[in-house]
Amino acid sequence: LIIGRGQRAWFYAPAAILLVLGIAYPIARTVLLSFSHLNLTTGFQPRFAGMENYLRVLSDSRFVNSLGVTAIFSIISVALEFGIGLGLALAANKLVRGQALVRSIFLAPWTLPTAILALLWAWIFNDPYGAVNALLQNSGVISRPVAWLATPATAMSAIIIADVWKTTPFIFLVLLAGLQNIPKDLYEAMEIDGGGAWAKFRYVTWPFLLPFVFISLVFRIIQAFAIFDLVWVMTGGGPGGSTETVSVYSYQTYMRYLDIGYGSAQAAATVVILAGVAGFLYWLLLRRYARTF
Amino acid sequence: MSSKRAAARVFFWTALAILLIASFRGSQSDSGGLSILMEPDGTGVWRDLVAEFNREYPGAPIRLIEGPPATNTREDMYSTSFLSGEAAYDIVYCDGIWVAKFAAAGWLADLSSRPTADDRADFLPVEFEAGSYQGKLYRMPAFTDAGVLFYRKDLVSKPPETFEQLSMLAQAMQTEDRWGFLWQGKQYEGLVTVFLEVLRGFGGEWIDAQTREVKIDSPETIQAITFLKNTIGTISPPSVTTYAEEDTRNIFQNGRAVFLRNWPYVWTLIQQAGGSFSQQIAMTPMVHAPGFASAPTLGGWGFAIASQSRDPGRAWQFVEFLTRPEQLIQVQQRQGRIPSRRSMIPAEFLPILTSARMRPVIPEYAQASDILQRWLSAALAGRVTPEKAVSEIATETSLLLKGGRP
Repeated sequence: LIIGRGQRAWFYAPAAILLVLGIAYPIARTVLLSFSHLNLTTGFQPRFAGMENYLRVLSDSRFVNSLGVTAIFSIISVALEFGIGLGLALAANKLVRGQALVRSIFLAPWTLPTAILALLWAWIFNDPYGAVNALLQNSGVISRPVAWLATPATAMSAIIIADVWKTTPFIFLVLLAGLQNIPKDLYEAMEIDGGGAWAKFRYVTWPFLLPFVFISLVFRIIQAFAIFDLVWVMTGGGPGGSTETVSVYSYQTYMRYLDIGYGSAQAAATVVILAGVAGFLYWLLLRRYARTF
Repeated sequence: MSSKRAAARVFFWTALAILLIASFRGSQSDSGGLSILMEPDGTGVWRDLVAEFNREYPGAPIRLIEGPPATNTREDMYSTSFLSGEAAYDIVYCDGIWVAKFAAAGWLADLSSRPTADDRADFLPVEFEAGSYQGKLYRMPAFTDAGVLFYRKDLVSKPPETFEQLSMLAQAMQTEDRWGFLWQGKQYEGLVTVFLEVLRGFGGEWIDAQTREVKIDSPETIQAITFLKNTIGTISPPSVTTYAEEDTRNIFQNGRAVFLRNWPYVWTLIQQAGGSFSQQIAMTPMVHAPGFASAPTLGGWGFAIASQSRDPGRAWQFVEFLTRPEQLIQVQQRQGRIPSRRSMIPAEFLPILTSARMRPVIPEYAQASDILQRWLSAALAGRVTPEKAVSEIATETSLLLKGGRP
């Protein structure tokens, strides 16, 4: 049986259909809706809005606030995750035995469903009964239970800690894979040239690791920027909107206010911002990488 | 090897086909019944009532779905289901503040012709008003709530009527381990209900639902915010800005406060607990400024029918059954809720419930309430001045009601 060129193309069809239905169509529809008024007031009939929804995004103090909250959350949590993940990966890479075991243990938090571990962390930080308060009270650090999730700074810290706990393993795993790809003879050559531990890291490990650093950071920042479940379950965006991320606000705009047009504009604006961040990371990390070789 | 693989492939596709067919048949068998999404049925009273109905009125069976306790979440579950057009729920156990939104979206069936003249006469008129949008009835009333001021009659001989009297009595009677006045100051819907009572007690208003005019930019609003803010740390605990209903009830029921603003369920719980403490508690309408009337905020639950329901006649039969006195009294006895039928309201609540006032019935209520909550909360925490909060609430709410476009 001989299959011609034209017929062969049909084998792409299932993948193409999935891509169009699952990704292209929703994106196109969201962008389209973001240029229309579609809400309770219009009786759910779309009405052309031009740029009005986007102008509203810019002047909406709550959106700007949620953008700030999301940025703070993303920068702090991804920075912590990257630092800890890199340290753990470097250490694990040195292990001669039991690496598989260590890898599995570190990976456990990452495999848990976020909503469930968010509930868990909410209990850990619970006001009278939580583990954190019990620990700190028993060791005499605090005399009265602290309402961690009730004040802006502590609530944000609690969410960041939960996120770091869950997603550090992802960075750990990607970086460990990168480390194991580095040819050993390069280190030997470095030793012969009299390079110390720092020189090995700076001139061998880091340049080889950069593509993996880029991948892990881009993935994590995009995920962190879209954070919803952790915040929704732990604080619901409170207290006083101090942990309300862009996704939480967009969700409210869609589902509670039923303002589909404006919600779409928020989502589209977020994607544009994220693309900018990814571009910046590429410029920062991989432009250098390309020059190294 | 290859025959094994072929076998595995055949097995896989067959399994998939079976699953698909099974799922279609599963969804078809559902279409025989009607469903209602309710609160978690802790007392089991809803299960019993549904079983009683299915037994006594043969026909398509009613299925009870117990939702999560957070009313916001159930509101979103209804929205998701109705937006997708799948009519997962035929009957809506409906909070008063959802009526306008759901009705404007076209998700609720018009019930205007359903209640009998007797029902019209018996249920509180304000509940029919709260269940109506643009002149049509969308929600059959069932239970009524209104803000109440509880006080310790062993400490206070004559209940306060004005804000000033409340402050003075609270100040005089509070001690080292007993606060003067508890209210709900957390950033949530409860804060809006408390604030409205204070605002209207000063003669102010938030939104005129008829004209969609924003009334909040007034000296009365400043007075109301200032009153609440001044209680914090003086007659109310500093953490009152994180309290919801249950936090304040627990403190009050432990004897650690003189006055408590809350809902009638507290009375039921305290009476059920019995003991000497239940003898020390009395209630009075919420206080107001001299020359104005007490304005308890109305909060109530009723039943609505989804416009997407395939059998609205059967759905109404069930709603009509539930809102009869014989069924309402079972819920009253087991849950402590107060039926909206005047003939069933306990005498001690009648004056408070009949003076209750609605929150504005507008489709954008959730958004307007969120604006109010955010700025109120900021003003109470001292992050902005009351004047700044009022002007921000006024600007944002006006924008919203004009269609949300700058």
